[in-house]
Amino acid sequence: MRGSRSLLYVFLAVPLAYLLALVAFPIAYNIVMSVQDVNLGNIARFDRPFVGLDNYRTVLADPDFRHVLGNSLIFVGANVLAQVGIGLAVALFFAQRFPGVHPLRGLLLAAWLLPALVVGALWKWLFATQYGVVNFVLISTHLISTPVHWLSDPSVSLTSITIANIWLGMPFSMILISAALTGIPLEPYEAAALDGAGPVQRFRYITLPALRPALFAVACLVTIYTMRAFDLIFAMTEGGPLDASNVLPLFSYQASFQRFQFGLGAAIGSFAVVIVVGVALLYIQTLRQETQA
Amino acid sequence: MIRALRRRGWGLTVLGVIGVALYLFPIYWMFTSGLKNSAEIFASPPTIIPRAPTLAAFIYVFQRDDVLRYLRNSLAIAVPVTLLTLTMGSMGGYALSRLNSRIADLALFTVLLLQVFPEALLATPMFIIFKALGLLNTFAAVILATTSKTLAFALVILRPMFRQVPIELEEASRVDGCTPLQTFRRIVLPLMRIPLIVVGALSFVQAYGEFVYPLTLLTRDEMQPATVGIYSFVGAEYADWHRVMAFSSVFVLPILVLFLALQRRIVAGLTAGALK
Repeated sequence: MRGSRSLLYVFLAVPLAYLLALVAFPIAYNIVMSVQDVNLGNIARFDRPFVGLDNYRTVLADPDFRHVLGNSLIFVGANVLAQVGIGLAVALFFAQRFPGVHPLRGLLLAAWLLPALVVGALWKWLFATQYGVVNFVLISTHLISTPVHWLSDPSVSLTSITIANIWLGMPFSMILISAALTGIPLEPYEAAALDGAGPVQRFRYITLPALRPALFAVACLVTIYTMRAFDLIFAMTEGGPLDASNVLPLFSYQASFQRFQFGLGAAIGSFAVVIVVGVALLYIQTLRQETQA
Repeated sequence: MIRALRRRGWGLTVLGVIGVALYLFPIYWMFTSGLKNSAEIFASPPTIIPRAPTLAAFIYVFQRDDVLRYLRNSLAIAVPVTLLTLTMGSMGGYALSRLNSRIADLALFTVLLLQVFPEALLATPMFIIFKALGLLNTFAAVILATTSKTLAFALVILRPMFRQVPIELEEASRVDGCTPLQTFRRIVLPLMRIPLIVVGALSFVQAYGEFVYPLTLLTRDEMQPATVGIYSFVGAEYADWHRVMAFSSVFVLPILVLFLALQRRIVAGLTAGALK
């Protein structure tokens, strides 16, 4: 068996080395850049002046940054609530037995598989002020009287990208919750039915507690995936108008590649890194408990 | 409550069909917008079913050289990413499923952690690294960068699937005199055919839709994939929406075909990986 183990370690080393070189190293590099003065002149060199925490001070003093950080928290929070809430409701609907239930449930995943950039372009068209189908439906059902400027009104654009991202992400959350639902043992339901518990009580006292770890894991995953959102927002609003729909990764990218303030961009990125690493650790912790239980 | 529910019959099916159809309406709207002419696309009120369906926008898309070039570039990125991901993913997934050591635990932890970083943050350091390597404006740079995303995902999904290959089969093969590498190639991989197809399809879909890395690492327009092409069409405030939607429809068609062909297996594969 010795030969087999050394082969396994070689097999492990190849992808791991790849990920360390192309993910861990860039992240570390980003953190180094966040304490350096990096501009177009010295970007290709490695001996750049260290400026301590200056970039972080500049970023924290920037009202735009605080605005964008707030946007990110709202965007991620709304996505977590909606994707887990709606995902759970839809998963419960598809947990019933009726003809065609599995193909129908699976079909929803088509939305999740579309490239985020295409989804952004598509929703930009759906949300078009004058010719968009969303305004048409809302006006013809008398829910609104004048067209909403979904993408160009700063008080609405964050809502618009949030709706589009929920549409893209919810089917995946729903499929994960569905899988967790089928794993719940049947006996407690039978006992509860004998005791005369109604559907609401059964949901509250059996389904929800049994589902809690899975829902938490899905919430972590939604946070991680939503923190990654870039393409969809870039296609719909580019973060605008006036940063109204901007989020941390996009704001960081704009600092680096549109204003060429690479040090500031890296410092902004560090805030996003702290958030995703924190949530990733919670997620991994939950998975560990799940597999041990 | 779940499986104990009695069969409620077709009433729920009708409800489900209506719900799914409404949810996927945007996809219907993408295809039918592509079937409209330049007058009908801006009709008010919009026509839910195209009044005068025409393939003009699709023909326009296929006659424009740059659109075909965009699609070709997307494939030139997505196909190598898929192969690279499957190669390294099956090596790593197999190792992670068979090794029970602290090193393997640490490796799994590292993989889980490294899959979470937003590409937009990795874009700057990647730009600098590939510039230093002289690889800017090459497909190789985009392929290597994109694989860092698909590989972590593939490892997470493949690990539990390799676990389902009975270890007794490997032991029998060793008794027959096969080396560990031969056992992996002749016994294990053929049994993993279906999961590898699923992971290959998902990696392809991700790489095919990749936007940030080509946008950052390629500055020459003639190398850009379709995602960047579509972006350049919708970036302006005004857009020829029937043409954008025709372009988008052609672009996503391979994804939807793959999805319809593998739907059940994709669902099973996703649920196996993410929560276990």
